[in-house]
Amino acid sequence: MAKIAIIDDDPDILDASSLVLTSKGYEVVTATNPDDGYKIVKENSPDLIILDVMMNEPDDGFFLAQKFRKEKILSPIIMYTSVSKSLGMDFGINELVPVDEFVEKPISPEQLIEKVNKLLHKKGEV
Amino acid sequence: MENGHSPKILIVDDEKGLRIGTKRLLEGEGYIVETAENGCEGIKLGTASEFDLAIIDLKMPDIDGISVMKEILKVYPDSVCLIATGYASYETAIEAIKFGAFSYIPKPFTPDELFQKLSQGYSRRELIIERKKWKQEREERLLEVAFEKSRLNTIINSITDGLLVVNKNGEAVLYNPSALKYPGFDQIKIEEYILDKLHPQITELINKFLSSETSEQKSFSSQVELKANRQLIVEATSSPVFNPDGTLAGVVVIIKDITGLKKIEFLKSQFVSMVSHELKAPIAAVYGYLKLFSDTSIHLTEEQKLNYLNRSQIRLDGLLKMVNDLLDISRMELKTVNKEIKEIDLTAVIKSIVELFQIEIKKKNISITINVSEKIPFLQADQDEMSRLFTNLLSNAIKYNKTGGSIVININSSGNYIITEVNDTGIGMKPAESAKLFQEFFRAKNDKTKDISGTGLGLSIVKRIVDSYSGKMEVVSEFNMGTSFKIFLPLRNGNNNTEQKTG
Repeated sequence: MAKIAIIDDDPDILDASSLVLTSKGYEVVTATNPDDGYKIVKENSPDLIILDVMMNEPDDGFFLAQKFRKEKILSPIIMYTSVSKSLGMDFGINELVPVDEFVEKPISPEQLIEKVNKLLHKKGEV
Repeated sequence: MENGHSPKILIVDDEKGLRIGTKRLLEGEGYIVETAENGCEGIKLGTASEFDLAIIDLKMPDIDGISVMKEILKVYPDSVCLIATGYASYETAIEAIKFGAFSYIPKPFTPDELFQKLSQGYSRRELIIERKKWKQEREERLLEVAFEKSRLNTIINSITDGLLVVNKNGEAVLYNPSALKYPGFDQIKIEEYILDKLHPQITELINKFLSSETSEQKSFSSQVELKANRQLIVEATSSPVFNPDGTLAGVVVIIKDITGLKKIEFLKSQFVSMVSHELKAPIAAVYGYLKLFSDTSIHLTEEQKLNYLNRSQIRLDGLLKMVNDLLDISRMELKTVNKEIKEIDLTAVIKSIVELFQIEIKKKNISITINVSEKIPFLQADQDEMSRLFTNLLSNAIKYNKTGGSIVININSSGNYIITEVNDTGIGMKPAESAKLFQEFFRAKNDKTKDISGTGLGLSIVKRIVDSYSGKMEVVSEFNMGTSFKIFLPLRNGNNNTEQKTG
C-alpha cells in the first residue's frame, strides 16, 4: 500500500488526517515542522506528500515544496490551506508553486481520500 | 417733507423782519430753521454743523454773502447754498453760482417762490448725499474684493492637499505650494502646457473634462501610486470649472496624500487574515475529529474517542479564550474601556493572582518568591486591568517555565514609577523571537513550546494596558535560561482622570 507523509504544525490535524488515511490502509508518517518534514520525506520516500502551507512562517509550505522539487523528489503534493487567499497568496499551480492540489481546511475525510486516490492513481498511470 | 426727514436750513440775513418771517414760514412747513443776523454769525453757525440748505443774503454790513458761502462750503461742501439778493442782476447770479451757490433768489420773494427754490435745492442736496453714499459703498466694495482675493490666495496656499488648475488648453493657471511636492507637479509653470508632465492617470482625470462637452458639475477620483512599492499613494480628484455662461473654463485637480491611510488599510486586512487563520485552526481540528466520529468506515476505540473528545474540548477552550482576548483588544483599541480608577495596592493584587495559580505552580513544582521593598505607594489604576496584566505575565512565567524552576517577583518604587519585575527560569527566547514578542498571535514555535497552549494575544494585551497608563515595559530574555519582564507604572498620570474613590 502507498506511503503518505503529512507535515503540519497542528498535532490535532495530523492525528485526524493520519487516522483517516490509515483506516483506508495507507501507511502514514508525520512531522510537525518543515525540518522534520524534510527528514521524513528523505528517509521514507513517500508516494504522496501532504503539506500545510502556513507553519512557522506564512509560506513555509511553499518553500518546502520547492525544496523537494529542487532535489528531484517528485511525489505528488497536496497542500493544506486555510486563509492563504486572503493573505494575497492566491497562487495558481505553477513552477514556483510545485504542488498538485490545494485542499482548504477544514478537511472532510471523503474529500481527502478522493484527492489522495486521484493523485496516486495519476502517478500510477505515468 | 416727503421722506419724513426734516431739512435743516440756515438763514443768514441782517434784515430782522425777513429772518423772523421766513423762519416762521418755513417752520410751518416742517423745516428746522436756524438764523444768523450777520455774516460772522452765519459762518460760525454754518461751519459748526452741517446744514442741508442755506439762504444767504448777498449784502450784509460785515461780510458779504459770497464770502460767507465760501467759508461754509470749505467745511461742508455738500451744503446747498442759495444767495438772496435785492439787486437782482444777471452778474451777481453768475458770480454766486461761480463760487458754488446752487441758485439765487431775488428779493423780495413770495412764499411760493421761496418754496419752489428750496424744493429744487433740497432735491439737489438729496442727489449729492445719495451719490456720495453710493461712491463710498463702491469704494468699500472694491476694498472688500481686494481683501477677499488676498484672503482666498492665503487659504489656497495653506491647504496641505495639492491644488492645480488647468485651462481648456491644458495649461497650468493656478497651483498651490503643496502641489509642488508631488512628482510631475514640481515642473508646473504658469501658462505652460502641463498634461504631458503629469502621471498618466492624473492626465486622464483632467482629460475626462477637456475632451468632453459636459456642463455637469461632477468629479472624478482615482488612487494613483506616484512612487512604487506603496511609498507614495495619492487620491487625485478632478472637477470642472465653468465660465458664467456655462462653458468649460478649466479643470481643478486636488491631490491628497493617502499613503498612511493605505498602510493602515493594508495592516488591517493583514490582521483580519491573521485572525481568521488563528480562529480557523481550532475549528479545523475539532471538525476533523467530529468527522472521524461520524465516518462509519473508521473504527475508533473507546480510548481514542475519549482522547479526541478531550482534545476537541481543549481546542474549543482555546478558541473561546482567543475570541475573548480579541474582544479585549478591540475594546482597548476603540478606547471604550471605562477605567474605574482607584487607589490600589499592587502588591496585594499580585499576591492574590499568585494564589489563583497555586495548582499550576504545584503541578510544575515551581518555587515562587515575592520581594517587596518598603513603602510601596498606592497606585491609581483600574483593578481589573492590573489583574489582567499580571495574570498574563504570571501565566507565561509558569507555562514556559521548567519543572522545578523558579519565579521571582520584585516590586519597588522609584521616582514616579512602581516597577514590577517578573523573572522566570523558563525556556527563554532567541533574539529573533523577542523582537516579535508583542505581535498579535506570535508564539515561538519549537520543540519546547509545542505542548504549551496559548492564544498569542496575552502580551499584546499586556502592552496595551501598560501603554494606556503611559507606562513602559522592558524584556530581557536568554534562550534556555529564562525571561524577565519589567513593568513601569506611573504613580501620577496626567492622561487619566484619576477619580479618587475611597473605601
